[in-house]
Amino acid sequence: MGMVWLAVRSLRHRYAAFTATFVAVLLGTALMGSFATLVETAAGPVPAQDAESLTVMGAVVGGWGAVIVLFSVASTVGLTVGQRDVEIGLLRTIGATPRQARRLVRAETLVVCLVAAVLGALLAAAGGRALLAALVAGDVVSDVEFGGGAVSLPLTVVGILQVCLVAAAIAGRRATRGPASVTAADDLAGARPIRRWRVALALVLIAYGLGMGVVTVTVSGNSDDPYDAMATSGSSSLLVGVGLALLGPLLLPVGARLARPFLGGGDGAGYLAGYTASRRAHLLGGVLGPVVVLTSGAVGTLMLVGADGRTLVGEPPEGTETINLLNNVVVGMISLFAAIMVINSFAAVVAHRRAELRQLWLVGGTRAQIERSVVAEAALVAAVGVVLGLVGSLATIIPFGLARGEGVLPDGQLWLPPLLVAGVAALTMLTARTLVRRATRSAAILIP
Amino acid sequence: MNASTAVLEVHDLARTYGEGTGSVAALAGVSAAFARGTFTAVMGPSGSGKSTFLTCAAGLEPPTSGRVVLDGADITDWDEERRTRLRRERIGFVFQGFHLMPYLTAAQNVGLPLRLAGRRPDRVRVSALLERVGLGERAGHLPAAMSGGQRQRVAIARALVADPAVILADEPTGALDSATAASVLELLRGCVDELGQTVVMVTHDPVAAAYADTVLFLVDGRVAGRMDRPTATAVAGQLARLDEWVA
Ligand SMILES: Nc1ncnc2c1ncn2[C@@H]1O[C@H](COP(=O)(O)OP(=O)(O)OP(=O)(O)O)[C@@H](O)[C@H]1O
Ligand SMILES: [Mg+2]
Repeated sequence: MGMVWLAVRSLRHRYAAFTATFVAVLLGTALMGSFATLVETAAGPVPAQDAESLTVMGAVVGGWGAVIVLFSVASTVGLTVGQRDVEIGLLRTIGATPRQARRLVRAETLVVCLVAAVLGALLAAAGGRALLAALVAGDVVSDVEFGGGAVSLPLTVVGILQVCLVAAAIAGRRATRGPASVTAADDLAGARPIRRWRVALALVLIAYGLGMGVVTVTVSGNSDDPYDAMATSGSSSLLVGVGLALLGPLLLPVGARLARPFLGGGDGAGYLAGYTASRRAHLLGGVLGPVVVLTSGAVGTLMLVGADGRTLVGEPPEGTETINLLNNVVVGMISLFAAIMVINSFAAVVAHRRAELRQLWLVGGTRAQIERSVVAEAALVAAVGVVLGLVGSLATIIPFGLARGEGVLPDGQLWLPPLLVAGVAALTMLTARTLVRRATRSAAILIP
Repeated sequence: MNASTAVLEVHDLARTYGEGTGSVAALAGVSAAFARGTFTAVMGPSGSGKSTFLTCAAGLEPPTSGRVVLDGADITDWDEERRTRLRRERIGFVFQGFHLMPYLTAAQNVGLPLRLAGRRPDRVRVSALLERVGLGERAGHLPAAMSGGQRQRVAIARALVADPAVILADEPTGALDSATAASVLELLRGCVDELGQTVVMVTHDPVAAAYADTVLFLVDGRVAGRMDRPTATAVAGQLARLDEWVA
């Protein structure tokens, strides 16, 4: 029981570090739970057609939700655990076995996730009702009775907790790799080489996304059902986006090198940022990843919905509202969780670099300069991220446009990508500015 | 030295980092024995392999070749799980950076190795240890509310709690001013003289080394001499000579 004893004390001490995990699980459960109640409602006395719509909605959002929550919880837990490499190394040095160290990570994660998931389920109980009311009001389904909650919500909580356990297992394994040492792994190892499986997975995702694009143009685009083309090309932007995000630590230094000519001016902030981005690519890769996925998924899917609305001829087929709603909900979910991950990853970057920022300050960098150098870094990450994201979004836009006869360039909504890009860039830079300000304004910069 | 009384022995210990042309031989064949109830200082230029020596001796990392014998048991080929259990029962650690758990009180930090072993720390024993390191009043304080010297005393009490065979210390006074360092060294000396503990301490400071019974000098991962009943001046002189060899 020693590890649970330790986990409780550790949590009480640094609950702030677990905020991101808490929020991700809370919102994830609330969203997935709301849609899960639809499936349970569908099982009640409901017309067959409505039952199908409700079940499809629940299944699609539940499936995507599980993947997205897994990614974001794995990322947030991984960062919280990764920042404590010295502490976990100490525990192992004075006698915690790797298994005990992993149990500590698991206990901490499970407590946070349990509280967040139960609260999220309570939100979902109200959210599911509101969602059904909105669907009825929007004529997506007929006037059916809400009959969810008793089974679907506990199941959602159990499912989310499984996802949390997987995330904790990944983080725990990473934290106990290699021999125990009280030296920060980062200081010893310098730039960590990118793992081979990661590159392989990235290439598979990108190839799959591109392959689906080819299928869309050559096969499903010629099908009688106009939604076949959407089914094959709809998720390509996300898949390619995730693939590019996995390659982030490799692509960021390349981007930094390309951007270096533009970073020369000013007082050295941009110059420093360019080098930091290459040297700390694995850390900043955590910020870059969600930026790429957010841009790629949002631009790709929203342009798809737009092109669909423009090019559908005649009476919209059955289920159009459901499909549009689902596309929007999935984009919304991805955007929300990507934003949480951007904020959390940047918090980790700044926390990790307190000592370094202090050095900069000691050798005569003013606070304003330090802040500018971090914001310049964020700008660089945002720039590389949105460029990669836009490239990823083409994997959906081009095949679908060709299949629907719009050609490579969509006929409308060309204002959308710049708008989203501006939003993503603003989120990244504002997050960086807020966090670095908090770090430099607090007394902590004066203390080693 | 009579090998049969040795608590810790290393035979021809070697540790190489990296592979091929870029590899570094941090240890290149070190043999030494540390008798029960002795205080040994390990000294040498930066990069001479002192920390690597402690790491291998503690079973944190397996050596590339050579053997480590602790308390009569050859632990070289043990798996991580078994070495960890040995570590928490038989080895106490003290580090330069103190390394206490920030969210545990002094008393909880001291009892932590026992908790990891699945035992409930004995209150009386923990208070006695804190009393011994001069922190009887501070049992309930968090590390953040203590000075560097006080934190290091807590770390020493933690190292003593399992009644280990040997205490390994890596530059325990490296982050302390000389007065505080002196009191920490007195404390380690007391552990040897009064409790019969065995201490192996890496240090850069000839004054700290003078508290030991023996000084072991390392250069380029090899033993480059030893000195019994060291004085600060003699150690400083020897170090200067070693530096000349290296340069
Ligand atoms: N994890 C590692 N990977 C690669 N090389 C290492 C590693 N740890 C130590 N070394 C190398 O091994 C050699 C010995 O290092 P070690 O830390 O044992 O020296 P030290 O005597 O403790 O030095 P200091 O007095 O500066 O603490 C050095 O050349 C160091 O660069
Ligand atoms: Mg060292």
